[in-house]
Amino acid sequence: MNPWLVAKVLSLITTIVSLSMLWPLAWAWRDGSGDDAAIIQSMLLGLCASGLLYAAGRRHRGYGRVSAKDAFAVVSLSWVAASAVGALPYYLHGMVPTFGDAFFEAMSGFTTTGASILPDIEAHPRGLLFWRGLTHWVGGMGIIVLGLAVLPFLGVGGINLFRAEVPGFAVEKMTPRLHQMALRMWGIYVLMTVAAAALLFAGGMDSFDSLSHAFSTIATGGLSPLNRSIGHYNSAYIDWVVTFFMFFSGVNFALHYRMLLGDAKAYGADPEFRTYLGIVLLSTAGVAAVLYRNGLYATIGESVRYAAFQVVSVITSTGFSTADYNLWPPFAHAVFIFLMFAGGSSGSTAGGLKCIRVLALARRLQAGLSTVRHPRGVFQARIGGRIVSHEAMSSVTAFFVLYMLAFVLGALFMAWLGLDLVTAFSSAAAALGNTGPGLGAVGPAENFSAVPMAGKWMLSFLMLLGRLELYTLILIFVPDTWRR
Amino acid sequence: MHPRLVSKVLSPLTAIVSLSMLWPLAWALRDGGTDVRAFATAVAVGLGLSAALFLWGRGADYADLDVKDGFGVVALMWLAASLLGALPFWLHGVAPTFADAFFESVSGFTTTGASVIAEVEACPRGILFWRGLTHWLGGMGIIVLGLAVLPFLGVGGMDMFRAEVPGPSKEKMTPRIQETAIWLWGVYALLTALQTALLSLGGMSLFDSLVHSFGTVATGGFSNLNRSVGQYGSAYFEWVIAVFMFLAGANFVLHYRFLRGDFSSHFRNEEFRVYAGIVLVSAVAISAELLRRGVCPSAAEAVRHGTFQVVSVITTTGFVTADFELWPSFSRMLLFFLMFAGGCAGSTGGGIKTIRLLVLWRHMRAGMQGLLHPRAVVHIKVGGKAVREEIIASVTAFFILYMTVFACGAFFMTLIGMDFITAVTGVASTLGNVGPALGALGPMENYSAVPQAGKWGFSALMLMGRLELYTVLLLFTPGTWRR
Repeated sequence: MNPWLVAKVLSLITTIVSLSMLWPLAWAWRDGSGDDAAIIQSMLLGLCASGLLYAAGRRHRGYGRVSAKDAFAVVSLSWVAASAVGALPYYLHGMVPTFGDAFFEAMSGFTTTGASILPDIEAHPRGLLFWRGLTHWVGGMGIIVLGLAVLPFLGVGGINLFRAEVPGFAVEKMTPRLHQMALRMWGIYVLMTVAAAALLFAGGMDSFDSLSHAFSTIATGGLSPLNRSIGHYNSAYIDWVVTFFMFFSGVNFALHYRMLLGDAKAYGADPEFRTYLGIVLLSTAGVAAVLYRNGLYATIGESVRYAAFQVVSVITSTGFSTADYNLWPPFAHAVFIFLMFAGGSSGSTAGGLKCIRVLALARRLQAGLSTVRHPRGVFQARIGGRIVSHEAMSSVTAFFVLYMLAFVLGALFMAWLGLDLVTAFSSAAAALGNTGPGLGAVGPAENFSAVPMAGKWMLSFLMLLGRLELYTLILIFVPDTWRR
Repeated sequence: MHPRLVSKVLSPLTAIVSLSMLWPLAWALRDGGTDVRAFATAVAVGLGLSAALFLWGRGADYADLDVKDGFGVVALMWLAASLLGALPFWLHGVAPTFADAFFESVSGFTTTGASVIAEVEACPRGILFWRGLTHWLGGMGIIVLGLAVLPFLGVGGMDMFRAEVPGPSKEKMTPRIQETAIWLWGVYALLTALQTALLSLGGMSLFDSLVHSFGTVATGGFSNLNRSVGQYGSAYFEWVIAVFMFLAGANFVLHYRFLRGDFSSHFRNEEFRVYAGIVLVSAVAISAELLRRGVCPSAAEAVRHGTFQVVSVITTTGFVTADFELWPSFSRMLLFFLMFAGGCAGSTGGGIKTIRLLVLWRHMRAGMQGLLHPRAVVHIKVGGKAVREEIIASVTAFFILYMTVFACGAFFMTLIGMDFITAVTGVASTLGNVGPALGALGPMENYSAVPQAGKWGFSALMLMGRLELYTVLLLFTPGTWRR
């Protein structure tokens, strides 16, 4: 690894994070709420750190040859550095008791998880609340570049291999250069954010709330400046607007791009989108039926509204809530846990395994069944009519095994700290899938403040692990990586 | 599939199950119990069925036996045995409905050990003996299935054992199955006899020691006592049973080699080492937590209960010495995950099996190597031998299928109204053929309160888990029935 190169990139990241604090600072000044000092101090500290990193990285000229190892380190450390700097405002202002809490909140923001340790959110000044939303938004931008440009080139988890094979996924053809592609994706991202904010504003939210929620929605984050999240408004219009935008944030941004270019069949032709849509529709129908049958909501319309919102919120790993689904029937819990694992589409801001991998695993299973029935036949898994190569399938199954292993170890660790079964189980799944709230003591109406400190660090780690598609982060801890 | 041929193969097997009811019948007659008529009727019905199957399949030729027939025989055998085995429970009335009786019988033949009988000690001894015997017969079937049948059917990567099966290395399937079966049953019977002797020496009655040995060696878990093995409160019994459960969860081929004088065969086997490692680490972790949280007053007691429960769950036996429902959440979480792990291939244990976990682990590691060295071709090895790509593919497909069946089972059980923990752990437990679960199906509870639909669902899960999923699923795919 080349430490100078890493320092240089990290310097850039910390500068971006520090400078983006200007926006919450503006809110703090407007409100005169007294959180401006903390934000300014954080910004200055961040810029100092950036300067030091730059000075260290000066020795490295040009980006020249970046090895895979460097890229893994840069990506992982970028999120850690952003979270460390992003945690400063919370910590310096004193709204959280320890730095561990502040780091958890910031990591939850930048990984667009949306798990919070604040019991009473509305009691805090708006500058800091705005910062929570903005961390999502900045993190989401990072994820888009990561998912569409960085990870595919590193070959993490097999997504790149699908892209080459599945029609319409040829990354390299989309735009010749990485930064050009990033700019276009960000354009779509900004466009969606503006549209969401405008529609929410039109529905009666004030400008602060509509911006915060738009940030959170498009980044599939889930932090809200309100204690009762979106449920606070109790408005069907707002619920459906947020559901709609959450759903589309969980779709591959390359499809949005192609749609904007006039390819009307971009969504329908994409096997991953069809899988994603199918899971969402089926889960919504199932949960809505159970809600209606159990008499939780009086009308079918209401059951569908609440079921659709929660289902889309969980599968896109956003984590907003309009109802305390801890109180819903166990069937809904089983569905939500499944959705936490499934996750949204690749190339979106959503977390989890991702629908393309779920689809590939299903195809692998079908091929397996055929092989048992006809032992001498050769069966190839196909997606979108094309054969999935052996390497792609192998990467996906390996990714699935690693994902389950990380979940098992995380859940065991949380249980070791004394959390009850449901809480330990769901907090690990929710952190790894970047969903946010889980079930039990970390349910949608609860928060993570009561989790022991070691648990907060573990969950922060799991959030990062899930966000960076596991391998990126884990490889740093494998001795083989550092051998020359 | 050749239905007449399948019928011909099933006929003697049905006769064996029917005739084995003579043993509990003997206990019933000795005791003058209320269950004499139930057993006599069941034997008659079973022999009648066997005769009918024989007459129908008379003309079929064994030479026609193909892979599809193999699947048919395996799945239908367990089904037929369970239906026959349910008769005594149903006719005698210990099980109120046929669904209950069928559940109990499936649980027996799949060596699961989940029971719908709340008051076990109130049952006559003939019935109790029959419960133990269903385990023992089921275990015999599983050993043959795992080491002689499935490897040839290529289910879930088990064909990697083709080379390891003892006996003459002929390519013909039938003589080899017979040869293998006889050797392994010898080992199985020896372990049972040894354990019965050790338990009797410790002061257990012959009846109790036989029933518990059947339950142990088959990794079943039916006990004739309400509070299972814990009722004795004897450290000696618990350690003897723990050791035999552990052995029953290891590959029987290794025991066979050991008896033939190859004393290091266990330690040279990578699967066994991993299995022992998981047991050791889990037992230490749980014992440490029991001591740390003050559940057990002394270290000796913590180790005793921790080890027993770990071995009981990983080997998918399901005997209990303590109400682990009351244990701290880490212990319960670990036991829950061990339900998925299961014992070794070629044992009577259920679950995913250690060898598959090992292959999955190596596969995942190879994925990492591939990222670091994109141009390198990484082969994975287990036990020093390269694992073929087809095997890795079958193992991953099996893992996906296992998780899919688990998820569908959990959806179904929550849909019929079970709470989350009960549904999820109940499904993991029955699919892995363990027995006790958590929540309302905890170690001190039973399955009697499960709704009727749930009992049928759990019975299906037990059968699927036991027959390595594919066997049962293929029975329901139209392609299997086509010529």
